[in-house]
Amino acid sequence: MNGPRSKAIALWGLVAFSLILLSFPTVIIIGASFTAGEIIQFPPEGFSLRWYEKLWQLDSFQDALLRTFYVSFICTLISLPVGTLAALATVRYRIRFRRTLQVYLLLPFTIPLVVSGLGMLIVFGEVRILGQLWPVGLALCIINLPFMIWAVSASVNGLDSELENAAANCGAAPVQIFFTVTLPAVMPGVITGALLMFILAFNEFLVSLFLVDSRIVTLPVQIYNSIRSVITPDLAAVSVVYILIAVIAVWVLDRLVGLEIFLRSK
Amino acid sequence: MTLAILQRTDRFVSVVWPSGLHGMNGYLFLLPAVALVFILVIALGYMLEFSLHELDLSTYRLKEAYSLTNYQTILDRPVYLRVLWRSLLAALIVTVITVFLAFPYAYLMVRTSSAATRKFLLVALFLPFFIGQVVRAYGWLIILGKQGLLNSILTGLGLPALDLIYNYPAVILGLVQYMLPFAVLLLTPAVAAISEDVELASESLGANWLQTFRHVVIPMATPGLVGSSVVVFTLTLTDFAMPEILGGGTSDFIANAIYDSYFQISNIGLGAALAILLTLIGSALVALMFMIAGTGTLAVTEAEE
Repeated sequence: MNGPRSKAIALWGLVAFSLILLSFPTVIIIGASFTAGEIIQFPPEGFSLRWYEKLWQLDSFQDALLRTFYVSFICTLISLPVGTLAALATVRYRIRFRRTLQVYLLLPFTIPLVVSGLGMLIVFGEVRILGQLWPVGLALCIINLPFMIWAVSASVNGLDSELENAAANCGAAPVQIFFTVTLPAVMPGVITGALLMFILAFNEFLVSLFLVDSRIVTLPVQIYNSIRSVITPDLAAVSVVYILIAVIAVWVLDRLVGLEIFLRSK
Repeated sequence: MTLAILQRTDRFVSVVWPSGLHGMNGYLFLLPAVALVFILVIALGYMLEFSLHELDLSTYRLKEAYSLTNYQTILDRPVYLRVLWRSLLAALIVTVITVFLAFPYAYLMVRTSSAATRKFLLVALFLPFFIGQVVRAYGWLIILGKQGLLNSILTGLGLPALDLIYNYPAVILGLVQYMLPFAVLLLTPAVAAISEDVELASESLGANWLQTFRHVVIPMATPGLVGSSVVVFTLTLTDFAMPEILGGGTSDFIANAIYDSYFQISNIGLGAALAILLTLIGSALVALMFMIAGTGTLAVTEAEE
């Protein structure tokens, strides 16, 4: 009854349930996007690519997709130097109040997203930068910055400081050491972090909902607005774009650093 | 070419940032991040200020005078206490279910001897992790909707259709599905830190696997369990999309009330008071986690140790 077989059955039973739970919505969206019918129904009214075709012709979709790419690009661009330097500083340099600073840098996680969203709406309104896209990218960078710092910190630990000392002894100047020794050593973390930042910004919804208006709507907000009216299959096709990008991201992450990195005990 | 640029930069840097200042390098590197996060601090400052002014209903502006009226309103109106209670209860239910499901997942992923199984479990976890809340909620709408997949199956079998969407259980389901990858990823390092030998020792002393789990594995994984529970709890407590999309107005959480107080009833003071309250509850929970499990629960602080 309590032997190894029952253990395998119990564990795999629960994991199988989790696997179904995790994949069910994704599979259903993909299925629904290929329907030939006017509405989503089961069983679907035959197979067609008409909703993808309609998507290509829809300017509002293309604009929203471009804006989303732009915003995610800005977010990643800002977080690259800011997060990398912060991670190096907190892990490698002698700093007073290290603990306090680390807790401070976790504020974007501890402040609820809805509060950050409303708060930045107020602040950006005060300095009159609302209605533009780059502040949205900046906002998404701020709320996800701990992810970037975390990713780089994880690889800073693998950096041997003797390498930097050796470079200095050979007469290399600080900036040269940074770009030729330090940065290449932490590159896996920088790439992981950048990828995370891009994907998170690409998907971010709540803070964007506060900061975009109808003229600069991004894709997650547009999907949300459409869900509230009529659910048509073109939305499923839009969602498949998201699923595709997630597949690419997982593949790239696995190729570059290996997903197994997340299994390591700290 | 690149080297020349680097050397020129170095010469420039040695002038504006002489080596005497290099002890300050850490602070210099931290400056941009500290400045960016400071925007959130300013935002919180504005919220605190707004929350202390009552809305003047004749002008629809906040009154000059300071008062605690907004906080009083939250405590006086049953609707806000209901929303608060509903969010806290959901956070509790979602945390219990999610961590219960996440633990075997993390355990199998760490312990399986097959590299292919491990990769499969990892991919199945990361794919939804990289797909946002709105898209996943949309998937549930297709499944649970009035003419959705499940109701089509039911009516196809000659059974009456059910109201599966726009209620509390639908919100809980959506949230559990959303939180599961977070919970597993936070739990895995803690499970990986447990040596398999300890389990073998327990079993060689005559314990069955349930006893080994109960008395050895779970106690040893406690830091990870606390960490992932707190993260799932706070993320659920502060969630907006799932109650909005899958609750359809029937199951509003605090975040929805904050959004509505700004965009629906245009009472920024009240919204700010709710926001401050939510931040306080969230921070208190994180502080509690630090106290119980030590700062090591969060990967960022872990890095130096």
